[in-house]
Amino acid sequence: MTGIDFEGTQVPLQAGDTIAAALYRSGTRVFSRSFKYHRPRGLYCAAGDCPNCLVTVDGEVNVRACECAAKAGQKVSRQNAWPSADRDALSIIDKMHWALPVGFYYKAGIKPKFAWPMVEPFIRKMAGLGFVDHHDAPRHLVRVNHHPEVLVIGAGVAGLSAALAAAGAGKSVLVIDEKAPGHRVAVGETRAAIDRLVGEVTAHGAITTQWNTAATGIFEGPLVIAVDATREETLHVHPGAIVVAAGGREIHRVFRGNDLPGVMQARGAARLAGVHGLKLGERAVVWAEQPEALAHVETLQRAGVTVVAVVAPDGLDTSSVTVEVVRGEVTAANGKKRLASVVAGGRTIACDVLAIGSEIQGNEHLVRLSYDLPVVIAGDCTGRHHTLEEAAASGTSAGTAAAAGPALYAVEPVRPRTCGSDGYVCLCEDVSVKDIEVACKEGFDSAELLKRYTTVTMGPCQGRICADQLRAVAERVTPELAERVGAPTTLRPPTRPITLEQAVAGAAHHIERHTTLTSKHLSAGASMMWAGVWKRVEAYNGDVQGEYAAVRERVGVIDVGTLGKFLVGGKDATAFLERLYPMKIADLEAGRLRYGLLLEEGGVIIDDGTVCALGDGRYYITVTTSGAERLESWMLDWAEAWGHEVYVVNQTASLGAINVAGPQARAVLEKLTSDAVDRESFPYIRHRQITVAGVPCLAMRLGFVGELAYELHFPASQAERLWDAIIEAGKAFDIRPFGLMAQRLLRLEKGHIIVAQDTDFETTPWKVGMEWAVKLDKPDFVGKAALLRHQKRTDRELLVPWVMPAGTACPPEGTVITVNGALSGRVTSAWHSPTLGHPLGLAWVVNAHAKDGAAVNVGGTTATVRVGHAFYDPQGEKLRA
Amino acid sequence: MSHFSIRCPNCGPRACSEFSYNGEVRPLADPDASEEAEIARLWLRRNVTGLQRERWFHAAGCRRFVTITRDTRTNLIVAQPGEPAGDVAKHA
Repeated sequence: MTGIDFEGTQVPLQAGDTIAAALYRSGTRVFSRSFKYHRPRGLYCAAGDCPNCLVTVDGEVNVRACECAAKAGQKVSRQNAWPSADRDALSIIDKMHWALPVGFYYKAGIKPKFAWPMVEPFIRKMAGLGFVDHHDAPRHLVRVNHHPEVLVIGAGVAGLSAALAAAGAGKSVLVIDEKAPGHRVAVGETRAAIDRLVGEVTAHGAITTQWNTAATGIFEGPLVIAVDATREETLHVHPGAIVVAAGGREIHRVFRGNDLPGVMQARGAARLAGVHGLKLGERAVVWAEQPEALAHVETLQRAGVTVVAVVAPDGLDTSSVTVEVVRGEVTAANGKKRLASVVAGGRTIACDVLAIGSEIQGNEHLVRLSYDLPVVIAGDCTGRHHTLEEAAASGTSAGTAAAAGPALYAVEPVRPRTCGSDGYVCLCEDVSVKDIEVACKEGFDSAELLKRYTTVTMGPCQGRICADQLRAVAERVTPELAERVGAPTTLRPPTRPITLEQAVAGAAHHIERHTTLTSKHLSAGASMMWAGVWKRVEAYNGDVQGEYAAVRERVGVIDVGTLGKFLVGGKDATAFLERLYPMKIADLEAGRLRYGLLLEEGGVIIDDGTVCALGDGRYYITVTTSGAERLESWMLDWAEAWGHEVYVVNQTASLGAINVAGPQARAVLEKLTSDAVDRESFPYIRHRQITVAGVPCLAMRLGFVGELAYELHFPASQAERLWDAIIEAGKAFDIRPFGLMAQRLLRLEKGHIIVAQDTDFETTPWKVGMEWAVKLDKPDFVGKAALLRHQKRTDRELLVPWVMPAGTACPPEGTVITVNGALSGRVTSAWHSPTLGHPLGLAWVVNAHAKDGAAVNVGGTTATVRVGHAFYDPQGEKLRA
Repeated sequence: MSHFSIRCPNCGPRACSEFSYNGEVRPLADPDASEEAEIARLWLRRNVTGLQRERWFHAAGCRRFVTITRDTRTNLIVAQPGEPAGDVAKHA
């Protein structure tokens, strides 16, 4: 295949073709249908600025055909038209302007109220820019960092001169350009100058170049983010100073019919004719407002086009051209689907191409993002046309200035030019001069408001075509508000469209943490599940019931190495924790531990865990798996706020943790340690330093699963050794490793909550029956002020345990609860209890029904509220064993 | 925005990019404050244009929190960590 597939037709290619060039050569003139009115649109800027040539290429939407290199085999289609862009049935909308006034989405279809839901889907279908392929697999792009002393953006005459000057001053220089240098410039002296400078730059040892790389924003640092389309990488450039020589573009000229296919900007026309050799039409008119445009006459002629007239203002010296000169301006363009004639100087001139060589405005987007960063501007980018000599001089002085160091360079805002009285200001969203006039008269009195209301500057061109003319129209309508309506609107990165793949380049991986025991779990048949950033064991071989039974009847072992683990020390450690936790810390004796909630300032539970007093003024604390990272910075923030001298050492990764639980847990440990682990020497809610299988451990007696249990914390490097020893010693008792699912069932039988599963963003200890964990007689703790206020209120909902009769099916978590048909709450945790033989769980229930013995309807089955009861071993005898 | 450095008490002057911003410093809870004042303290931020007392976390360094005074218009650091706060408007 040697051509591209354009809507089912083969289009032949020539060397150096862009998609737009190939299609134009084969006769395509309508490249798209406009966003709102479905008007036919043809090539206009041919420089990647306007929205007219956005096409879908191989499933990728909104590709700029004028800048995208054509490759054999590409599938190309036009967008926003049905059945085709050439014969678009929806162009009927172009006859319905009366129904779609400016801001119509704020006005039309609003009354009566039922109308909008019917109108909206229609509008969504009519408007838009292509269809995204949801099955398209994203590519992972790399991010590359560069640290040149000077970065030059733009490889024209000015940019390349700046690079040579900066390198000549001894600096390392990186030059980037969004395409190959000079790729838009027709054969001539400018192109020759660029080619010569590229040769010098390439030969210079201190200059690195990267083409096809578009800068998309300048950020503090300074940091410049650029995307390389061909190498599929995103660049993060950290330069000392930046030269922006991004060139200029012609001002968008607005008059009746200014959006007809055949009306083009002169640089674009010259590119198509001079670079791609396209005969743009039979008869062309060149509107020249400045000297550069006169040179395009010859370029068009060389491509075989007859230039029938040059339209020029009175002051412009046109002695260099040999065609007829009409003094004045183009005031209208006529034609139905294509340009047929233009009106200029009071005459109608038949033509099929109009090349508009208007005044130059700078591509100032990057500059306007740079605020007070060390950025120097050079060449046309400064906002006016430069001759070859002027561009070279401007570049040299900019390069020298950038090499001299990070001084600050102010940018002068450019005043808007004039605008015609009819035609389209905004090609992206079909906004006419009249629309803007109406918006001004409706009272939109600042550029930012006009922008939002009319959507001018908010389309794919991001203001490149329309921004200047929006300001000009607004100033004309409301001259008394010129300062406000004529101000440039805020500009934001990216300054060139980028794909989401490019935006997230280098960040393609998810953080996935494993404990050192993961390989042991996997070889034992574990299925894994997410818990925060961790992967934890869900169950081994899916046998949740077997794991549960082992813990209740014999002994089980679980890897809890993912818990957040912190050592808190320093002069103020006790005072710090006393103020952090809602329970008492100061009276915690060495060797004791205490369960603690953590509350935020609104009194809401954000985490829970244990605090061990180590006796030397230091504390060892644990928090939940998912809370570890967040709570570390949260704790340190409070330390700074209170001026406490504390040190918080995050040992989450450096320590492993294993919980041995079940009636035989002690018997297993006794086989592995010579330290005392009996009930008298090592009772419940105590911790001891013991050695297990040769591994020094901080052992805690806790009761999350409701059985005799020892939680061992030890250096993570010893985890596999200790795990193996425990499994080996437990064989005599038929020990089983258990996963999160079994643990959730075990804890639920005890009525223990899991923060964030059973609690939400407004759960106070009161609402979950945990008043016992809060000591309001303490002088202060985080959340106390809010809880004191909260105490005076009646809670709307409470979290309560519930049970169902034996033989009923366990409802899924999240089931809605009703009482007498009215909504009362929802289930947060639910399991069928193997020991008790019936379903049980936790649920939010409105206050009136949160009473012991109250009957509620859970998904069609009656459940009974059981306030204040642990379902299993209510007296806690087993865990104290 | 310009680049600036923060003088970490542990690590010395370091690029601001090593730190993460933790917002303006708010006053501590006052049990006697009115309900409205407490809601404002907890949930409303002042977004000062000018000198602001604020906290930064040395996330890519020693992981210590520091408090500085910064001019939000210019990014000039008026008070580095440990220095007197300077002429900062009190929280409303």
